[in-house]
Amino acid sequence: MDDSTILETRDLNLWYGPKQALLDISIRIPKNTVTALIGPSGCGKSTLLRCFNRMNDLIDSARITGRILFEGDDIYADHTDVYTIREKIGMVFQKPNPFPKSIYENVAYGPRIHGVRRKEVLDDVVETSLKRAALWEEVEDRLHEPALALSGGQQQRLCIARSLAVEPRVILMDEPCSALDPIATAKIEDLIIRLARDYTVVIVTHNMQQAARVSEYTGFMYMGRLVEFDRTQRIFEDPTEELTENYITGRFG
Amino acid sequence: MKREEATAVQSGYPGWPGHSWRGPEAPFARRNRHLTDLIAGKLLFIVAVLAILVVFFIIGFLLRDGYQIVLETGIWNFLGGVDWNPAGSPPSFGILPLIVGTILVTALAMAIAVPLSMATAIYIAEIAGPGTKAVVKPAVELLAGIPSVVYGFFGLILLTDWIRILFDRPSGSSWLAGSILLAIMAIPTITSVAEDALSSVPREFREGSLALGATRWQTIRSVIVPGAVSGISAAVILGMGRAIGETMAVLMVTGNAAVIPDPITNVFSPVRTLTGTLGIEMGEVAFGSLHYHALFGVAVVLLAITLAVNGLSRLIIRRMQRTPARSRAPGPLMQAVHGLIPLSLPHRARRRIIHPKTTQKFAFLLISMGVVIVLAALGVILLEIIVKGAGAISLEFLTAPPSDLGRAGGIFPAIVGTLYLVAGALAVALPLGIATAIYLIEYTADTWLTRGIRAAVDLLNGTPSIVFGLFGFAFLVLFLNFGVSLIAGQITLGLMVLPTIIRTTEESLRAIPKSLREGSYALGASKWQTVWRVVLPPALPGIITGAILSIGRAAGETAPIMFTAAVFSSRYLPSSLFEPVMSLPYHLFILTTSVAGADDQKFGTALVLLMMVLSIYLIAILVRHRYNRATVV
Repeated sequence: MDDSTILETRDLNLWYGPKQALLDISIRIPKNTVTALIGPSGCGKSTLLRCFNRMNDLIDSARITGRILFEGDDIYADHTDVYTIREKIGMVFQKPNPFPKSIYENVAYGPRIHGVRRKEVLDDVVETSLKRAALWEEVEDRLHEPALALSGGQQQRLCIARSLAVEPRVILMDEPCSALDPIATAKIEDLIIRLARDYTVVIVTHNMQQAARVSEYTGFMYMGRLVEFDRTQRIFEDPTEELTENYITGRFG
Repeated sequence: MKREEATAVQSGYPGWPGHSWRGPEAPFARRNRHLTDLIAGKLLFIVAVLAILVVFFIIGFLLRDGYQIVLETGIWNFLGGVDWNPAGSPPSFGILPLIVGTILVTALAMAIAVPLSMATAIYIAEIAGPGTKAVVKPAVELLAGIPSVVYGFFGLILLTDWIRILFDRPSGSSWLAGSILLAIMAIPTITSVAEDALSSVPREFREGSLALGATRWQTIRSVIVPGAVSGISAAVILGMGRAIGETMAVLMVTGNAAVIPDPITNVFSPVRTLTGTLGIEMGEVAFGSLHYHALFGVAVVLLAITLAVNGLSRLIIRRMQRTPARSRAPGPLMQAVHGLIPLSLPHRARRRIIHPKTTQKFAFLLISMGVVIVLAALGVILLEIIVKGAGAISLEFLTAPPSDLGRAGGIFPAIVGTLYLVAGALAVALPLGIATAIYLIEYTADTWLTRGIRAAVDLLNGTPSIVFGLFGFAFLVLFLNFGVSLIAGQITLGLMVLPTIIRTTEESLRAIPKSLREGSYALGASKWQTVWRVVLPPALPGIITGAILSIGRAAGETAPIMFTAAVFSSRYLPSSLFEPVMSLPYHLFILTTSVAGADDQKFGTALVLLMMVLSIYLIAILVRHRYNRATVV
């Protein structure tokens, strides 16, 4: 593994019960970039994303073989602590899922469960995280109001702030804009591009224009396989595989 | 290890404040989260298993004390014997009259309750505007909140009297009186479950029918009621289960002669039910005697009947939940029921002799009459008790102990005793129930263990309260030698409300979306942290509502405490858990059945009990209301 790779899978296979959802996936996610995973519904892109922080552990029927390395360490190794993995690899979901608490408490939740008690530290983390998530100006004078009173786009940025507060290295985003209107989507896309300076972002998206706009690298998946993985420009302008080209040009999907 | 490296790198991130919150030392909470997780999981598992063991223990205990009577008399002499005379020489223990009595009282009660409930359910679900609905629905719920001993009191003081005068009989204590009371008590159960079923018939069915030019009544009769038939059957069976298991009200008005009515249709004959027999005789039976074992035999038979009835309703409900309404193909049983519907309802559509609009007017009139009867029953009971009870209420009545067998003085020790009993019951049931529910919802998938626990909870839920009383008496009072004591009553009541608490907690936990749990896990939270900080707080109002409902139920129950904890007249409050207490429902029961005169005190006690229980329910409704509004954002 070279220095610029942060996440890597080797011959990853995953089954839900008897049904195989991922087949022999080997992928290297470069550090401090945005990587997009695209492909038709049911191709396994969300499943792959959920492997990176072991969210699939929550599904009883899921079973995997192969290896997943984070900074060179096997995240499924016996000595690996799944909770620490999720601290370092955060996740933002398709539908905004703020906790039914105040804006402040949503952001402070992560640091709190990881043992932070001091109020001035928490205040600091909340402010910084909200600023990085480009939400601070909109909420700074109502931090203690319920998060559920925010608009959908604000809620999603709050969820991003919430995961930033844990100081992750990687942020996984599972179709983060699919429940949002175009204006809110544009704000999140902006944010994703800016986040890539300091974090590694892996984003699953249905929307090919979005992948083209925000990502440097793109992986195209089809029926549980990673068909092609390359620089985004290459994937969209000159793909190697015919299948990729057919998908990009809208012949199926 | 890796952690320190990562920390060093991260603190250097541009844009972060110089001091990242990550120190070189992993804080306590982080180091120990696996241990906390493990301990919490194991503890919850143990409690859940304990809950299931309690159920098996109760059943085992009843069987242990009940099977000897069958050895002694033979199963057919016991079940089929027509003579129940435990005090005779030789004593005889044939429970056929008791079984027949239970069946007759229940059957007639259902014959009264089902049409009235259906009318009310159809009215609430399909006919009433929002204004009237907001009156009728809570009124029906109010009926469910009245304690059974208050129904019994009303029945004994007023209903039997009316029957005696109206039909010119020597006594009004009869099968008819029991059935009328049970019908009123079963109406809220049947109505609310049937109304749920009617309301969940998909909207497009309704619109489809109306769009063809059908009248509202035609739509109700041929589309909505058939579409809800499973739920309605379940409602009727649930109501039946409630009626079969009811003790106090029945015991107080049926006359309790262990005879089979002659002729069998003589509704003015006194009858005696299985539950009534337990309520009357358990208190004075010699421990270990044949009579004692015979009563446990009666309890086992009662349990078996309620089990079968509740099992049937659960089967129907489960079938209903498994298949969505639109794709449901009726099975043979349901087809038979469907076949009955056209027969049971006026069906003139084919031969247009009467205009459909006229039929609708007539049908709606009948339905409204049904609703009026239900509301009138509630109104009469409440008015009688409030008007006659209000005069008895005074500062002395509320703060003084009773004297002269309750004919003078007050009911202070009974009020406090009831509070003690309820507090203790909650202390038993809340931790056990909440922990079991958390285990069921958060810690396991659908396994044989969870299915076992759920079945046990269902079983406990359907168990008549008198059976809990019997178990408490035999196990806590006699076997553990607690004596008739506060603690025995608290534990018995606690076991009785346990299923309610488990159920309501399960429901509130289930209502918390999965996405919140995922959001928490994705931040690196442990299972216990997620449950404790993310899942439980929003579930709390629902859990509290369940607890309050349990308080209301425990405060009004008589059967579980009459042999385990209650004394009639005590000038003092108990000074330890091992002393008996007075309680409001039991005080009312004894005043009504055994003390002549004292009318003021009777009505006063009934009013205080009624107000106490109803205000508890009112609080529950307010909590739920607030909570519902808070979540709709």
